[in-house]
This record gives sequence, C-alpha cells and structure tokens, in this order.
Amino acid sequence: MTTAEQIISQLLDRNSPVAARMRSIFSLKGLATPQAVQALEKSLVTDPSALVRHEVAYVLGQMRAIQSLPTLTKVLENAAEDVMVRHEAAEAMGAIAHNSVLPLLDRYAADASLAREIRETCVLAVNRIRWYQHQTTPAQAPYTSVDPAPPEQGKDVSQLQDLLCDASKPIFERYKAMFALRNIGGEQAVLALCAGMDAEKESALFRHEVAYVLGQMQHSASVPTLARFLKDQQEHEMVRHEAAEALGSIASPQAEKILDQFRADEKDVVRESVEVALDISDYISGDHLHYAQKINGASNTTSLQATR
Amino acid sequence: MSEHDSGSSGASQSIPVQAGALKKGSHVVIKGFPCKIVEYSTSKTGKHGHAKANIVGVDIFTGRKYEDISPSSHNMMSPIVNRKDFQLIDIDEEGFVTLMDDKHETRSDLRIFPETEDIHAKCKEEFDDDKSLLVTVLSAMGTEKIIAYKELQ
Repeated sequence: MTTAEQIISQLLDRNSPVAARMRSIFSLKGLATPQAVQALEKSLVTDPSALVRHEVAYVLGQMRAIQSLPTLTKVLENAAEDVMVRHEAAEAMGAIAHNSVLPLLDRYAADASLAREIRETCVLAVNRIRWYQHQTTPAQAPYTSVDPAPPEQGKDVSQLQDLLCDASKPIFERYKAMFALRNIGGEQAVLALCAGMDAEKESALFRHEVAYVLGQMQHSASVPTLARFLKDQQEHEMVRHEAAEALGSIASPQAEKILDQFRADEKDVVRESVEVALDISDYISGDHLHYAQKINGASNTTSLQATR
Repeated sequence: MSEHDSGSSGASQSIPVQAGALKKGSHVVIKGFPCKIVEYSTSKTGKHGHAKANIVGVDIFTGRKYEDISPSSHNMMSPIVNRKDFQLIDIDEEGFVTLMDDKHETRSDLRIFPETEDIHAKCKEEFDDDKSLLVTVLSAMGTEKIIAYKELQ
C-alpha cells in the first residue's frame, strides 16, 4: 500500500522515469482528493516533460476538476507553452464544460494567429459545452472516458465512415462519427477509423484523436495504420505520440516490436511516448492488477490484493 | 476430481462473457474449474480507460478457491450450470444412488460420499431412517454432484 504523499513525490520528482510519473498521474486521478488535484496542477506548470504536462491536463479534464479551471486557462493562454499541452488544456476545459470559459474559447476558436491544433480544440470544446448544456439523456457508452464529442446516432458503419472522411463537414460532426464508430466496435469500424485517419490531410488534431480512439478499441487490425503513422518522421509529433500509445494499448507482440524501434526517437515527445507505451503494454499483457498504484484511503479501492 | 461423477460432455458447456460484465455471484471458469464468484474488483484505469478485473471464485463442486486477473475487455468462459431435483429411491452399499425425476425416469449413475461429504453423510442417515428425500443434482462442465437434499412432504 502506498500513501498519497509517496505518489505525489514520485510525480513531482523529475528524476523518476516518465512512465512512473504517468502512472502517478493516474493514481492521483483515482484518489481524486483536493490534495491530489493540487499536486496535478503543480505538475502541470512545473514538469519538464511536455508529454507529462499534457497528460496531467487531460486527466484534470477527465476528473472534471472544476477547481482547476483557472490553472487550465493560464496554460491555454501561455503562448510559450507547447501546443500539445495548450490543446489538452482547452480540451479539459471542454470536458469540465463550465459556461465561464466560453468567451475565451470562442475567441481562441476564431483566432487565426493560433496554432491550428489549438483553434480546432477550442471549436470542439465550445461545441461540446453547448451540447452538454442541452443534453437530456445521460450518455451510455461502453467506454468511460469524457470525450470531446458525443457519438452520432442512427447511422451505420459506412454512413459514419462517409461523415468521418468528409472534410467539408464541421469537425464536431466528424468527431461524433468517430465516437459512434468506436462504440460500435469490431473490425469494420476499426478499418473505417483507419481510413478516416489516412484520408485526413489537414488536421493533425483529427488524426491524433483517431489514434486515441484506436488505442481504446485495442484491435489488432489497426496495427499497420498506427505503425505507419508512428514511423512517419514528417508527421506531427502529437499524432506519432498518440499512435505509439495506442500500439502500447493493443499490446500485441507485433505492436511491441514496432514500438521497440522508436525507443531512441529524436523527438522528446515520441521517445517518451514509446517508453510510456511499452510500460502500458507490459501492464496489459502482464499479471499485475493495477496500472495506477493503490493508495491508502482512496475511494473505490479494490477490496482485495492481487496474489501474484 | 475423483469424488465427481462424470456426466456426458456436451459441446457448449460454457459460453464466453466479458470479464468486465461479471459480478459477485456469477459463474465463471477459473483454471478449468466451474466457479461461483465470491470476490470481484476492478483496477483503476490508465489513459485509454482499460481496467482489469480481479476475480476470486469458489469451485461449485469442491469449494476450493481460485483466483484470476483478466483485462475487463477480454472474454472469460461462463459455465452452464444446471440444478435438477430427483426423488431418492435407493442407496446401495457402494454409495451409488437410484434417483427418479418428475417424469418417473430413473438413473443410477451417481454416487454419494458419506465419508468425505457431510451433506452426503446426513442424507444417508435420514434415508436410512426411512425418510422420503428429494436431492438436488448440480451439473456443470461434465461433472454432476448431489449438493443438497430435503425431506419430501
């Protein structure tokens, strides 16, 4: 059994491996106390790794940590911050879905001086918050993540693929097709998503989101596509990062072999993502029950220790 | 499992079920044994939301404990478990019983083990006292066993 203090010092210790800091982030997500949120916020503004900072922003959004809105706002506004981290801060603000951030997100969505990834994220977040406020039925999805868009309703796989690949449609609509395909699952849906990832030439954000969804689906049919995106040195590092972690999540010997070739990638975010991906892969294919550590006094802890 | 009598082995003695869909009280095959789940817990999730389930089950025939850890999205096998009541007609000197179902069909292929199974010992004792007894036969994965009895009113 580990204490919250131990996890927090592991997260805030720059000398602990990136994969260990990642596990700490998810341990604190499970703990979900004010102390945990504070530690995450500290990591968000101090960690030397953009990959770690972006993951922290993601988790604060998943936790719907409304108290973190001021910190997330500062991160989004910080022009010196990495694009991937600013994107994730905006996405987290969309996940928390509080009215107060709408004016800023609206402004950023239309600001041509900003990086495309940030603008598009703000467009999605604005749409999500407006949708969320008029939402009547609670979402019933096979996945527990708070997603940037709700799933499209009443379309089959081929209709969804058409919508996904149609660059003339608003990005929020295309994301809805993406999450509907994820929820439908199976090889046809996986291949439709791969086709969407291949077809999108403009938006790195879009390609990275498809890779994330493929990581959730853990289907081996997506390995060739994900491998291709990871290998492409010209590809946006945010897409390569997400492809690497999706391969880690699929955790097949083939996926591990591909990841192994990028352990020493020259891009920090890609190299670190590969380290994290191999750690995720170890966890998924191994015997250990927990990815995140179990913390004393955490809510919903398991009642039983693994015997292996 | 020498104390078990083997029944006929059907093709679908178990069906696949996602580890994440199981719960306490469900039946699941752990290490080849049909078990009832007595402890079920899931891990905290990581980035893609994947959890693992930690499952402790008790063999429905032997009472032995087994444990398994499986990703929630993976399939495990759920044994098809049946219970059927029979009237107890006879117990021979080797412990073989003659049973009759509600259609008056009889069978004599099951044994009781009064030396090792308390419930069988008590059942034999009451049968020897000339009581009319109804026994419950549990079957799963090719194994059948008398697991309970009650007096016929």
